[in-house]
Amino acid sequence: MSQTRDQYAAEVVASIPLCQEHWKLVLHLQHFPTTAPGQFVQVACRDLELNYSQEQDLDWADDQPVQIDHAELSQRLAFLRRPFSLAGRRDSAGGVEIDLIHRVVGMGTDWLSRLKPGQKVQLIGPLGNRHTLPGQKSSDEAVAILVGGGVGIPPMIYLASQLAGRKAVAFCGAVTRNLLPLTITNAAVAPTATSIEPLYNIEEFATFGIPAVISTDDGSYGYQGFVTQALERYLDRYFMDEPARGRAIIYTCGPEVMMKRVAQIAEARRIECQVAVERAMACGMGTCQSCVIRVKKADPAAAPMPGSDWCYRLACTDGPVFLSTDLLW
Amino acid sequence: MDLSRLGAFVTKSITLEERPGNEPTRIVETRAGMLNAIGLANVGLQRFLKEKVPLLQKMPCPVIVNVAGHSVDDYTSASAAMDSLECVAGVELNVSCPNVKDGLVFGTDPKRLRSLVTEVKRVVPTKPLIVKLSPNVDDITATARAAVDGGADILSLVNTFTAMAVDINTRKPRLANVTGGLSGPAIKPIALHLVSRVYRSVAQSAEVPIIGMGGIQYWQDAVEFILAGASAVAVGTALFVDPATPNKIVDGLNQYLIEQKVDDLADLVGTLRLP
Ligand SMILES: Cc1cc2nc3c(=O)[nH]c(=O)nc-3n(C[C@H](O)[C@H](O)[C@H](O)COP(=O)(O)OP(=O)(O)OC[C@H]3O[C@@H](n4cnc5c(N)ncnc54)[C@H](O)[C@@H]3O)c2cc1C
Ligand SMILES: Cc1cc2nc3c(=O)[nH]c(=O)nc-3n(C[C@H](O)[C@H](O)[C@H](O)COP(=O)(O)O)c2cc1C
Ligand code: FES
Repeated sequence: MSQTRDQYAAEVVASIPLCQEHWKLVLHLQHFPTTAPGQFVQVACRDLELNYSQEQDLDWADDQPVQIDHAELSQRLAFLRRPFSLAGRRDSAGGVEIDLIHRVVGMGTDWLSRLKPGQKVQLIGPLGNRHTLPGQKSSDEAVAILVGGGVGIPPMIYLASQLAGRKAVAFCGAVTRNLLPLTITNAAVAPTATSIEPLYNIEEFATFGIPAVISTDDGSYGYQGFVTQALERYLDRYFMDEPARGRAIIYTCGPEVMMKRVAQIAEARRIECQVAVERAMACGMGTCQSCVIRVKKADPAAAPMPGSDWCYRLACTDGPVFLSTDLLW
Repeated sequence: MDLSRLGAFVTKSITLEERPGNEPTRIVETRAGMLNAIGLANVGLQRFLKEKVPLLQKMPCPVIVNVAGHSVDDYTSASAAMDSLECVAGVELNVSCPNVKDGLVFGTDPKRLRSLVTEVKRVVPTKPLIVKLSPNVDDITATARAAVDGGADILSLVNTFTAMAVDINTRKPRLANVTGGLSGPAIKPIALHLVSRVYRSVAQSAEVPIIGMGGIQYWQDAVEFILAGASAVAVGTALFVDPATPNKIVDGLNQYLIEQKVDDLADLVGTLRLP
């Protein structure tokens, strides 16, 4: 699936703050292979052209502080690439635009947030597997339920763009309104703190005809509480019977505790749940074996590890998307 | 990237039995480098032969297979299988993995290393045998000499340095394995020094070539290793940053040879001008 992955130099079109800590980075590429929701890119969050610097002779004078200007040591540089989910893609005659939405948590994302239009960013991609869209499933009446938390929201936006015209609803949660990387429009239809009715007031989803339920832990916007609580109440109102549940597919990305809860909620109702996991990654391409996650094996006698009922899978190439029922986490 | 321009491709370690590897978290980034504690995760010899060899047969450059094990038998069984494979250009013994129990048993004890190399050499009659040395020893020249005395055709150095990182919020080690191996630019000056020492004390007189590695990221790093005594260099961690690193190094080396008016890279090996 990611056979066509390659290294690309992308040009920054825009770098826009979305909220207190999230930024949207719009990148232009002459060409980029086909991609699908769930996939990600490995971004060099520093100037790779910062070239070889010889170890320096240090002047050790009494009255002068020692100057260390070896770039790797004098400043904190994101040494390895950083993985970011695709948050959107637009193709045109002039090339491809991709969106990355990142939360500034450290040196790499800080570097990204300082990029200016015209600057170049090196990325490797597309990487990882894809979400299975409801249309590719047998039942036509399928309903996609997107559940994103915090930095797990970006891939849900890309997924939403691929669901235009299909039945879908988005649930997004954040700690507080200022940490919500979404555009609230239509103030007239502001949700109440207890409402779980999806509204067309979030631009990123409404654009694709998808209503959304927003939750914040502190109640500063939308449903007050965890997104999983809103989801559970919603399912108990609208997905009570077997046929309705059979038509639903839940897609989730966010903090692991949230996704685990989403998976529990889905599994208790026998709703299919596709989870996009996050793991520490070095290569992103299946070579370093760093990003493992435990999965159940259908046949304990089969390879790998004959005789054990679990094995490791790589989040970067076997995932990041897994069925919740396969995961042992 | 164009593999045909490279001297060789080295596999991750293969063991006789399949290994799942260590619990995650398995990697942590550090300043100018990283720690890894993968724990020799690999499919094992049988699946390697069935699933990976067909891929290796298509490689446009020579392939060196790296072999690891717990016992002499582990090493000899896996190495013997490699010797019979046409697509394998050489066998490298990893006696220096810091991330598994017993991983360093052979790599730190010159006597055991020498007898291991002797045994393996017996079952690898047709291919060059490379011994990959650990830097986690008091005197690397002792293990280097043991490997050469045991019959190593080539020495490679260095593997990673045992190291750790701590999460100050949870007060726990960042790696599930507690310790890991440090690699990347952070180790380059130490690796370079070890290559230089092994070259001058052991390899040069024994006429055993060295594959130098540890933190190589730019062609200039490669030149430093070659001047210090390496006949070839290998790149690990830098590949994660820029997969085109080896090709850029080849370009840089070619340019350097022209500028220095040197015909053959081999003429530069060990030409460090000491005071
Ligand atoms: C497949 C995949 C897709 C991802 N998609 C996105 C995305 O779309 N948007 C986004 O903002 N982030 C995403 N992430 C997470 C992102 O890669 C990390 O936030 C980023 O690597 C942090 O780099 P940094 O240099 O800014 O922080 P660092 O300086 O490396 O770390 C700063 C702090 O953040 C913590 N941290 C680092 N990495 C992670 C992580 N992966 N998860 C949680 N905490 C972490 C560290 O422990 C540390 O406390 C994704 C991760 C994966 C594996
Ligand atoms: C993620 C990772 C996995 C490694 N796995 C192996 C291995 O399986 N066998 C081995 O002999 N060395 C292994 N090494 C060590 C490298 O081959 C190399 O000796 C070391 O990293 C120093 O070189 P570098 O700084 O260029 O990476 C590994 C290194 C890293 C970073
Ligand atoms: S990140 Fe290297 S194998 Fe997944």
